[in-house]
Amino acid sequence: MMTFCFTGIRSLPKLWKSNPYLGLGPGHSFLSLFLENCYGIRNQQKWFSLKTVSAQNTKAVNLLIAKARYLRNEGSSKQVSSDTHLFAAGAAKKRSQMNPHRKDDALPPMRNTIQLPTKPLNSEEWDRLKEDFKGRANFESWIISQMAQSCSSVDVAKSLLAWVAAKNNGIVGYDLLVKYLYLCVVHKQTSEIIDVYEIMKARYKRLESGGYTLLIQGLIHSDRWREALLLLEDVKKVMIPSKKNYNDCIEGALLHQDVNLAWNLYQELLGYDLIPMLKTLKAFFDFGKNIKDDQYSNKLFDILLYLRNNHLYPEESFAHSIKTWFESVPGEHWKGQFTTVKESGQCLGCGKTIESIHLSSEEYESLKGKIMKDVIDGGDLYKKTTPQELERFQNFVKCCPPFDIVIDGLNVAKTFPKARESQVLLDVVSQLAKQNLELLVLGRKHMLTQHSRWRKDEMKMVQKQASCFFADNISEDDPFLLYATLHSGNHCKFITKDLMRDHKACLHNAKTQHLFFKWQRGHQLAILNRLPGSKIIFQNIPSYDTVVQTTGDSWHIPYDDDMVERYSYEVPTKWLCLHRKT
Amino acid sequence: MSVFLKMNGSIILRSLDRFLVPFTIPRKRRVLCSGVLQRYLSSKIPAVSYPNKESTSPPEKLELDSWKITMKSSVQDVSADSGSKDEDPVVAMKELIEMWRLLGREVPEHISEEELKTAMECVSKSSKKKYLRYLYIKEKAKKARQTKKELKAATKEKAIKDQLLETTKEDKQQNFLFLRLWDRNMDTAMGWKGAQAMQFGQPLVFDMDYGNYMKPKELRNTVCQLLESEGWNRRDVDPFHIYFCNLQVGGVYHKELVRRYEEKWSKLLLTTTEKSYVDLFPKDSIIYLTADSPNVMTTFKHDKIYVVGSFVDKGTQKGISLAKAKRLKLATECLPLDRYLQWDTGTKNLTLDQMMRILLCLKNTGSWEEALRFVPKRKHAGYLEISPSSQEELVNRLKRSKTFNSFPKDSLKIHTQKRWLK
Repeated sequence: MMTFCFTGIRSLPKLWKSNPYLGLGPGHSFLSLFLENCYGIRNQQKWFSLKTVSAQNTKAVNLLIAKARYLRNEGSSKQVSSDTHLFAAGAAKKRSQMNPHRKDDALPPMRNTIQLPTKPLNSEEWDRLKEDFKGRANFESWIISQMAQSCSSVDVAKSLLAWVAAKNNGIVGYDLLVKYLYLCVVHKQTSEIIDVYEIMKARYKRLESGGYTLLIQGLIHSDRWREALLLLEDVKKVMIPSKKNYNDCIEGALLHQDVNLAWNLYQELLGYDLIPMLKTLKAFFDFGKNIKDDQYSNKLFDILLYLRNNHLYPEESFAHSIKTWFESVPGEHWKGQFTTVKESGQCLGCGKTIESIHLSSEEYESLKGKIMKDVIDGGDLYKKTTPQELERFQNFVKCCPPFDIVIDGLNVAKTFPKARESQVLLDVVSQLAKQNLELLVLGRKHMLTQHSRWRKDEMKMVQKQASCFFADNISEDDPFLLYATLHSGNHCKFITKDLMRDHKACLHNAKTQHLFFKWQRGHQLAILNRLPGSKIIFQNIPSYDTVVQTTGDSWHIPYDDDMVERYSYEVPTKWLCLHRKT
Repeated sequence: MSVFLKMNGSIILRSLDRFLVPFTIPRKRRVLCSGVLQRYLSSKIPAVSYPNKESTSPPEKLELDSWKITMKSSVQDVSADSGSKDEDPVVAMKELIEMWRLLGREVPEHISEEELKTAMECVSKSSKKKYLRYLYIKEKAKKARQTKKELKAATKEKAIKDQLLETTKEDKQQNFLFLRLWDRNMDTAMGWKGAQAMQFGQPLVFDMDYGNYMKPKELRNTVCQLLESEGWNRRDVDPFHIYFCNLQVGGVYHKELVRRYEEKWSKLLLTTTEKSYVDLFPKDSIIYLTADSPNVMTTFKHDKIYVVGSFVDKGTQKGISLAKAKRLKLATECLPLDRYLQWDTGTKNLTLDQMMRILLCLKNTGSWEEALRFVPKRKHAGYLEISPSSQEELVNRLKRSKTFNSFPKDSLKIHTQKRWLK
C-alpha cells in the first residue's frame, strides 16, 4: 500500500506544488484528492464502505494523513539530520515531530464563570456569590479550590474562612483548612502557617500526608523548623515519607546550619530506597560553598558517585551549582567549563579521553547470562521460542565463526517502505559483505516463501553472502539477535532500528538494565539513509560512555540541557568538564 | 505578546512555561489577559506580592482572625494524650483514612478490621490509595442498592394499602391452566437439558491452569466470568458439555468456585477434573483458542474440542496461553475479529462469557455476523461489509502483524496438524 500511495503521489506533482499548506492544515482538500487518486485507480472504493462514516473513521483518516505526510517528508528531505544520534537527548522528540499527529486540542470549557474575588469580602458579599454559584459541588470547597489554583491572596481566603466559621459557629472543615494552608505556603506567610499549625494540632490528633507535607514545607522557613521533623516522624508511622518530605526537611536543616542532621536525613532517605530529588542534592552543593571541611567535601564526592552508579544526570542549574562549589574549594584551583565531547571521545574542554563504552569482561559475561535467563527464557521458553529451536540456534551459532555484524533481517528490510523488502536487505548485506565482514542475518521462515515483497532469487543472494538463521513465524527474533551478538564477542555489532525497550524491560534489576543500555549504545548500528545507487549510510557508534566520571584531578559530568527534552532511553549531550590546575 | 498567547490558549503556555518563567509580564499587559490566562500565568510566575495585611489593612475592616480563636479554643473531642505517642499502627491507619475522608478523598466511611489489615499490607502509597478507592466504590454501590431497596419496599407497601381500600371488587371465579411455578419449571427443564448435554453434548474445556499467574482480584473476576458463562450455557437450546480441566482440589481456584456456588457446586451439570484436557481427549481434535494465535478460525467445527483459558490477563505478560499450547503441541486458533469488524480500541481478548456466547451462537447458527454481536460495541466501529473476493486482500492489509493463512476450509485441519509434526 505504501509503495502505491507514493507512486500515486508522484504522478501528481502539481498537487504537491499547489498545496503548500499540506503539512500544516488538516489536509482535507488534499485528502479527498488523495483518496480518489489512490483508491480510484485501484477500484478500491470499498475500503471505507462501513456502515457508519466519518465520526468513527477519524482514526483511519488521520492515519492516512499521517502516512501521506510521512511519505512526503521522506520524499522531499533527508530522514534524520545526521547530527542527532539515536540515543542522544532530544532525538526522540525530533522523530516525533517528523511524523506529526493532528491534535484537536481545545480549551476545556469554562464551566463556572464566577469571577474570583480579588479582595476580602464581607459575609453578605459571600452570600451573594454563593447564590450566583450554579455548580453541583459544595460552593465553599469549590471556591477555595479555584483560589488555590489561581493563587489568590491569603486575605481573600481568610475572609472566606471567617464567613464559613461565622455560619457554622466557629468551625472550619479540614479540607478548607488544608487549602488555606496551601495558599499560605505558596505566599510564604509564615505567621499564618504557624497559626494553622496550632489549630490543626489542637483540633486533630493526626493529619494525612497532604497536610503533613504542606506543614513541613511551611515550617522549615520558621524558627520552629524542628517541629517539621516531628511531623516527619508522624508520617513514618503510617507510610514511607515522600522524597519531597525529605527534601524539605533537609533544606530546612541546611537553612538553619544543622549539617549533621541534613546528612542523617539524607542517609535515611537512601535507606528507604527512595531516589532523592535532584533539588536535594543541589542543596548540599549550594550549601557547601560556605563550608571548608574535608568531610563535607568527601560526602559531596559520594553524591557524585551516587549519580554515577544510578545513571542520573544533573539538570543545568544543578550543574552550575556543582561547578560553583568546585571552584570555591580553597587551594585546589578547580576550573570548570561547559563543553561537549568529540565523537572520538575527547573532551573539547581539556582534551582528556572520556571513559570507553565497552563493558569489562565480568560485566559482559553477566549481561550475557542475564539475557539468556531473563530475555530468552523468562520463566517459560515457549513464550518466545521453543527448546528445539533454541537448541538449533545454539548449535548454529557454535558452528559458525564469530560474527562481525548481526542483522535483524525483518527490521532492516522494512526500513524503507517504498522499496522492496528483499531488495533492501540484499543491498545492506552486499554492501557489508564487500568489507569482508562475517555477517549473520536473522529472520523468520516466511521470508523464504516466494512473495512479491520477498523475491527468492534475492534471498538466495543474501544467503550466499551471509550466514542466515530463520526462526519460526511465531517466534521472536530479537532475543536471538541479542544472544548472537553477545556470543560473538565485544567487536560484534548489530543492525536494527528497534530500540529494544521491551527486551530491556525483561531484565529484572536496574543495574542490569543500565548495563544493557550501555552495551546497546556501544553496539547498535542504525541505518540512517539510503542514497541512490543503494549506498547505505549507518550511524556511527559513540566510543565513549555518557556517565559521571572522575580521574581524581578531573571530573566529567554530563548534564541535561534545560531546553532539550530527554527521553529515558537517551543520554545527555552536554558536559561539565572540571579539572585541577597544577 | 499577550494577544498571541490568548489566541493559542493554554497549550502553548504549558509548553512554553520554561520560557515564561524568566520574564514577568509588565502590569499593564497582565490586565489584558483573560481570566484563564491570568490563572496560568500566575501559577507559573512567582506570586505577585499582594499588599500585606500588616502594612496596609484592607479597605473595610473585616474581622478576619476571629475564627482562629474559636478553632483553637474549641475543646478537642479526641484529645491527644502524651501517652498515645506509641500507639498501634492500625489505629494510626484508621485515623489517616478518616482524615482523607474529611479532605474529600475517595476512601470508605466504614472499614472492617480485615480490610484495614489488607490496606496496611499494601506495599506502596499508590496501592493503598487504589485499594481504599475500591472499598469506597464498593461502599457507594452498597448504599445505593439499599436506598433503592427501601424505596421499593415503600412503594410496595403503598400499593398493598391501596389494594386493601379497593374491597369493592367482586370475587370473580377465575380459571387458570397453570400454577405459577415457572421458575422452578425452567430450572428443571434446564437440568434435563444439562443432563442430556453431559451425555451427548460437544465438550468445551475451560483450562484452569492459570491460578498462579493471577492476583486475587483477577482470580475473583475470572470466577465471576466463569459463573456467567456457565449460566449462559445452561440457558441455551443445545448446551455444551463443560469441562473444568486442571482444577486442583483445594487450590485457590477451587476454593473461590466453591465459595461462590456454595451447595450447588456438587450438583452442577459439568465435569470438573484435576486431569489435563490432553489426557481426556485425542490431541489432534483439541483446538486451543487464544487471541495470540497466528491461525484464524474460519468455521466452527462440531467434531473438535475447543479449549478456552480461564484467565483474566491484567499483567504485562504476553502470550502465556499461546506458550502453553505450543508446549503441548496443540492447534491454536483466534476469532476472526479483524475480518468482520472494523476494530477500534481495546484488547482482542474477550471475556469468558462473551466467548461462551459467541461459541454457542456459532454452534447453533454458524453465522459470524450473528455470533460477533457479543463483542462489546465500544471495541469496534461496525461490521465490515466486504465482498468475499476482496476479503482476502483486505484482511491481509489489516492484519499486517499476523500471517493470515488463506487455506480452504478443510485443509486447515491438516495444516494445523502438520505444524507440529517436525
